[in-house]
Amino acid sequence: MPKRTDIQSILVIGSGPIVIGQACEFDYSGAQACKVLRAEGFRVILVNSNPATIMTDPELADRTYVEPITPAFVEQIIAKERPDALLPTLGGQTGLNTAVELARNGVLDAYGVEMIGCDLEAIERGEDRKLFNECMEELGIATARSGYAYSVADALAIVAELGYPVVLRPSFTLGGAGGGIAHDEDELRLIVSQGLELSPAGEVLVEESIEGWKEYEMEVMRDHAGNGIIVCSIENLDPMGIHTGDSITVAPAQTLSDVEYQRMRVASLAVLEKIGVETGGSNVQFAVNPENGRMVIIEMNPRVSRSSALASKATGFPIAKAAAKLAVGYRLDEIVNDMTKVTPACFEPSIDYCVVKAPRFAFEKFSGSDDTLSTRMKAVGEIMAIGRTFEEALGKAMRSLENGRFGLGADGKAADFNEDEMEDLVRRPTAERLFFAAEALRRGWGKERVAQITSIDPFFVGRIADIVAVEEALRAMHIEDLDADAFRVAKQFGLSDVQIAYLTGTDEHTVRTCRKLLGVRPVFKAVDTCAAEFPSDTAYYYKTYDVGESEVEPKTRRRAMILGAGPNRIGQGIEFDYCCVHASYALAEAGYETIMVNCNPETVSTDYDTSDMLFFEPLTYEDVMDIVDAVNPDGVIVTLGGQTPLKLAKPLSDAGVAIFGTSPEAIDLAEDRDRFSAILDEMGIVYPAAGMASTFEEACQVADTIGFPLLVRPSYVLGGRGMAIVYDGAQLERFMGEAARISPDHPIYLDRFLEGAVEVDLDALCDGESVYVGGILEHIEMAGIHSGDSACCTPPFAISEAVQAQLRNIARRLALRLGVKGLINVQFAIKDTVIYVIEANPRASRTVPFVSKATGVPLAKLAALIMVGGKLEDFDLPADDRRLDYYSVKEAVMPFGRFPGSDTVLGPEMKSTGEVMGIARIFPAAYMKTQLAISYEQPAKGTVFISVNDRDKRAMVPIARDIARLGFHILATEGTARTLAAVGIPCESVSKIHEGSTSIIDRIANGEITLMLNTPYGGATRDDGYELRMAAIRYGVSYMTTLAAAQAMVAAMEVVEESGGLDIIALQDLPQWKAPERLRAS
Amino acid sequence: MSTALPPWKRGTSLSSISELLLRNTSKAHRSPALLVLEDGTVFRGFSCGAHGEAFGEICFNTSLEGYLEVITDPSYAGQIVTMTYPQIGNYGVNEDDCQDEEVSLRGLVVRDMCEEPSNWRSKRSLPEFLQEEGVVAIEGVDTRALVRHIRSRGAMRAGISTEDLAEPSLLEKVRASESIVGVNLAATVSCEAPHGFEKLPASQSFALASCEQKRYRVVAYDCGAKSSILQNLVRAGCELAVVAWDTPAEDVLALHPKGVFLSNGPGDPDAVGATYEQVRRLLGKVPIFGICLGHQMMSKAAGGTMKKLKFGHHGGNQPVMNLLTHRVEITAQNHGFGLVYPSLGPLVPELSGGMAKHPADLRLWVEKGVAPVVENPTFGKIRLTHVNLNDGTAEGMAFLDVPAFSVQYHPEASPGPTDSHYLFTAFTRLMDGRTDYLDIDIARDRLAGWKF
Repeated sequence: MPKRTDIQSILVIGSGPIVIGQACEFDYSGAQACKVLRAEGFRVILVNSNPATIMTDPELADRTYVEPITPAFVEQIIAKERPDALLPTLGGQTGLNTAVELARNGVLDAYGVEMIGCDLEAIERGEDRKLFNECMEELGIATARSGYAYSVADALAIVAELGYPVVLRPSFTLGGAGGGIAHDEDELRLIVSQGLELSPAGEVLVEESIEGWKEYEMEVMRDHAGNGIIVCSIENLDPMGIHTGDSITVAPAQTLSDVEYQRMRVASLAVLEKIGVETGGSNVQFAVNPENGRMVIIEMNPRVSRSSALASKATGFPIAKAAAKLAVGYRLDEIVNDMTKVTPACFEPSIDYCVVKAPRFAFEKFSGSDDTLSTRMKAVGEIMAIGRTFEEALGKAMRSLENGRFGLGADGKAADFNEDEMEDLVRRPTAERLFFAAEALRRGWGKERVAQITSIDPFFVGRIADIVAVEEALRAMHIEDLDADAFRVAKQFGLSDVQIAYLTGTDEHTVRTCRKLLGVRPVFKAVDTCAAEFPSDTAYYYKTYDVGESEVEPKTRRRAMILGAGPNRIGQGIEFDYCCVHASYALAEAGYETIMVNCNPETVSTDYDTSDMLFFEPLTYEDVMDIVDAVNPDGVIVTLGGQTPLKLAKPLSDAGVAIFGTSPEAIDLAEDRDRFSAILDEMGIVYPAAGMASTFEEACQVADTIGFPLLVRPSYVLGGRGMAIVYDGAQLERFMGEAARISPDHPIYLDRFLEGAVEVDLDALCDGESVYVGGILEHIEMAGIHSGDSACCTPPFAISEAVQAQLRNIARRLALRLGVKGLINVQFAIKDTVIYVIEANPRASRTVPFVSKATGVPLAKLAALIMVGGKLEDFDLPADDRRLDYYSVKEAVMPFGRFPGSDTVLGPEMKSTGEVMGIARIFPAAYMKTQLAISYEQPAKGTVFISVNDRDKRAMVPIARDIARLGFHILATEGTARTLAAVGIPCESVSKIHEGSTSIIDRIANGEITLMLNTPYGGATRDDGYELRMAAIRYGVSYMTTLAAAQAMVAAMEVVEESGGLDIIALQDLPQWKAPERLRAS
Repeated sequence: MSTALPPWKRGTSLSSISELLLRNTSKAHRSPALLVLEDGTVFRGFSCGAHGEAFGEICFNTSLEGYLEVITDPSYAGQIVTMTYPQIGNYGVNEDDCQDEEVSLRGLVVRDMCEEPSNWRSKRSLPEFLQEEGVVAIEGVDTRALVRHIRSRGAMRAGISTEDLAEPSLLEKVRASESIVGVNLAATVSCEAPHGFEKLPASQSFALASCEQKRYRVVAYDCGAKSSILQNLVRAGCELAVVAWDTPAEDVLALHPKGVFLSNGPGDPDAVGATYEQVRRLLGKVPIFGICLGHQMMSKAAGGTMKKLKFGHHGGNQPVMNLLTHRVEITAQNHGFGLVYPSLGPLVPELSGGMAKHPADLRLWVEKGVAPVVENPTFGKIRLTHVNLNDGTAEGMAFLDVPAFSVQYHPEASPGPTDSHYLFTAFTRLMDGRTDYLDIDIARDRLAGWKF
């Protein structure tokens, strides 16, 4: 049956901000869906609060709402746009949950909106463990033995039958949040009580442990005619007990015989049918007992998932695109396979390579939290690697993670560890466990022992043992001993040039030179869904050291290569992928053949139809240079993908590769502190006093000259790691000790900390002759909070136009002086009317997508055009000092809920995973939208708890007065209460926790507190504040740790109170820049 | 040694320094092997099976798993099979999964052979199995380049040697080797004497249902039958008498079977005259079900024409549209020849959606949602029931005037998806005399054969 004609408009719900367990894979799937649906002639209405997404680009939908994904807001959108249908299965758990609520509360019926792809009953059967287990029982498919607990006592009763350990899964939570494995009663009590709170249904599943079993995933698609296919099978290298998002996974399944695989296939198809997934993609997970093949189904997701994105990238089969087409009536056999163009999408892809996915963690950002991996996902990103063999793919995966490693060990980058703990390090699943497993093999522990300790399948252990054996054999050799065969062997086992260099005692460049002289060059093979059975014209490639042919087409026109951002991690997320994708679009329009290089499977950039050619490869010097050798680009763009490509600028340039845009020399000028300070001095621009110290004594001397408070940070670390603000000598001493541990043998930077200063970000374009300021962003938190974690507003709400003009002027002069060709981000601090320049980054910043959405000027696209010679004056841009009618606020989303034990105080080290945007005619309303987009509900009337440090006591008073006026009851700790009482604000006083009282924690637990304001003092001591903030997170209480945020929040609540609600606005109703005709390539 | 030359240009094995690198891996001490195609294309690699020399037609199989079923499939007689998935042997060998007692394929080409398998059912490694069975195999070949080559040039003769590593001499042998076109390979893999078949593999009982009560006496022509086909017939309730490929129709009818099954088999259907001559005499006298070569035998019996496909269908992901139910089955296939459906006779317009002229591409029937019928001069009306969605080839037919149906693909899969399991059920319904025997819910039937 062709597409449905009874529906004309479709509402698509996105997944909101990037959080752990729900990352940009849903931008990828949502963007694909929007494109397909529009191409099919439907009117697409989109809601997503995340501005850094491609899907929220105004041209992807007819109506784009960057609004909170809450039932209330979506209802407003439905009322205004009156869509015929709602597609809920492409926006992750957030989209699905919102759709479910709208269906349950009757909104969809009231407005006659049909849910397509999957109905409410099917979602409930898939998500509700009880209904799911009943369905499985009817099918005769085994599930783990289990029972439901609604209290700790229930859980104890169930365990009495199952025995420890048990797996605990709260119902309806995202990415397994709140789940865990309990080995004893203490653990059980803790996890169950937390899980009951986290579960919207107040229910926790207690399940027999199948820890250590083999884990598999099947990616299934189905159409309304009942045709079903398996797109991809995935085998987890890490055994059951580790969340699949935290596991290294391999596609296709490696150790299943046909009879086992086909049994799993049939079960998967039957599950979709039984659950009632009418059309679309689903993911079904199984555990298999390695001793006897007993197969147990773990769960299924009746929607496109993270694994779907992975499966799409792994096979070349566009699951989301197909799911969208199926939802509007097509059958699988009516959809053409994009790769072959001649065969239908109703088939099961065959692949002739091995795919390895590895998670990227960020435990270093959350000191104090447990880094053991469990059923609760903690990874912040992931990478995918393709090789002809598992060995080759694993080697690539291990150097793709942007964690400083260049392979599975043997790269000279291993951290020291305590020898006594070796066995524990091999046994305990952590981010580094595989490295320790390799180390154990290196030490001759034997494959059997390692497999037994880790529960990693002997197949994988055997492959890893081979890699280690080659590494060890190489260790004894000299580079000049290696001939072509030897290089090829090393390469086929996945070793990088850096590893070969380390093992043979030379450097990477020598290895590369020797290797190329011997003629050992990689070849590039295509991903084509069919193992070469049919010709394909899609240029999606990976590198391998096969000895045969390469499939890259010869160059026929100008080629532009764009280096992507690698795995999502804290500090480098979807924003940079957004910029790379925009560059690709812009350069394709400008007539270039575009070449994307990236290894992040969650992204739009790694969609095979984003660029003309896609290379799914690690972003290391070696891998990028191999691609350069193969495609001979006219230039490479390194300034749009964040730090990852930026650090390759110089090596690539040194190797003779043309860099598009800002030169590596100019980048260095801005990045090097001394050179940059010299320029600021020369131009008479003020910056905070700074110094450098290697010892505590030296630091004290610097402190004497500059004065406290100081912003201190170790050198040679990334992402503000270890950065802190110190107020006195004692704190400085503690910091120096800490820094010596993080980055030994390197000096410490000490900057004057401008306490109370207002921070400002500015994003601008420069073509070498003129400068265009894209936006000025006023931070809401005061200086001292990492700009990535701070909320900000554009246009500024409290900076005079005169000061804004000054900021623009400084940015103009700086950009021209540095020689920027492309984007530049300047960070300012304004204190006592003095403007300080904190830093300037001649590259795309995190805020580029947000500014582009807020102003309608696509900065990344324009930057790309400038890099290939475009001029600002040709772009017909609106004046950069124009007044905007709307305020746009960006707010950071924190992952603290995933890292119990780690403090939640904001500081100079970035910790957020994502962001949301709110747009409104006034600043407080826009700010409130961001809060709603994150917490999904507005603080109701009730009790506000206030506890501030002594420095903030005076400034807190007017805020507290507003809170009281809004009708809240105020609860305060004694010191704070005294101040409030003194100025006549009624409040109730409670004693502090360290005074032996737990009453405040109890009241948080009881849900009595609706909002909490707690400003901490000084370092991360485990004081009262820490306990309070932990409790707030655990019980989902909104909290603020800065007065500025509190002020904004209070103003916002006041606005909502007065106006009675918040209006919605579509991006299409805001001014949008249109490219002048002459910019298009003829 | 000249190190500047790529390895496939060189005449010797790996350098000693690289042997040192591999010393402590599972790939230590391999001996060189050579693969040469009829057109002179050469691939160098390493022996990963038996030593010796093997010649046959080169083809490829795209199944991601199920290598043992492929290697032991008698339909591969006369062929050298290239596995497109690069790492083969990962889960070892359990002989219960074998499709025949003897290995009929000539040789095996893989990118990377696993010496250390892992699976609870594994009894030995694949290289050990290949050595014991005397199968010459080569690893280290850029199999993707090889497949692309076959794809563009078509199937051709090839040779693997672990003894003669000189390209010109091996090429000469390849060119002197016998082509499988026109050769009756079925005769070489058929059974010699009639026998029963009832045993189901013990190590598969964890997953597959045991057999039903035996309700149908069935004679199965063995032109190289895969064990899994016979096992599926047993599970469907058939009491089997397996007979040789050229058993006379009278002998078969003398056994008073409720049905006759025509098995798969290797090679050129035109060469298996002694089978399709018998089929011609059986059609109309007893219900018949044919798979693969069996389907071709029925086509030949009805006077149909066969054509050789450029590189055949060999894999587990071929989409086939069932024109009766309009459901797509993902099928396992393994054949190099196919039926030219129009050659069976002119269309019957009133049963073919009004069409009187055969379309150039059978996929037109998929679009129209019509299962066309031809008037065959010998057997009356024959309906096209299944069409391959990749290339529009005929995949199945049902005789309307005599009780018989057949499919070109493999409902027993092994390896591959089991979507078409319902065809075994259909056979029993045909033997029960039902006319709606093919009207079966695929999804429900697919689930029935399994234990979870």
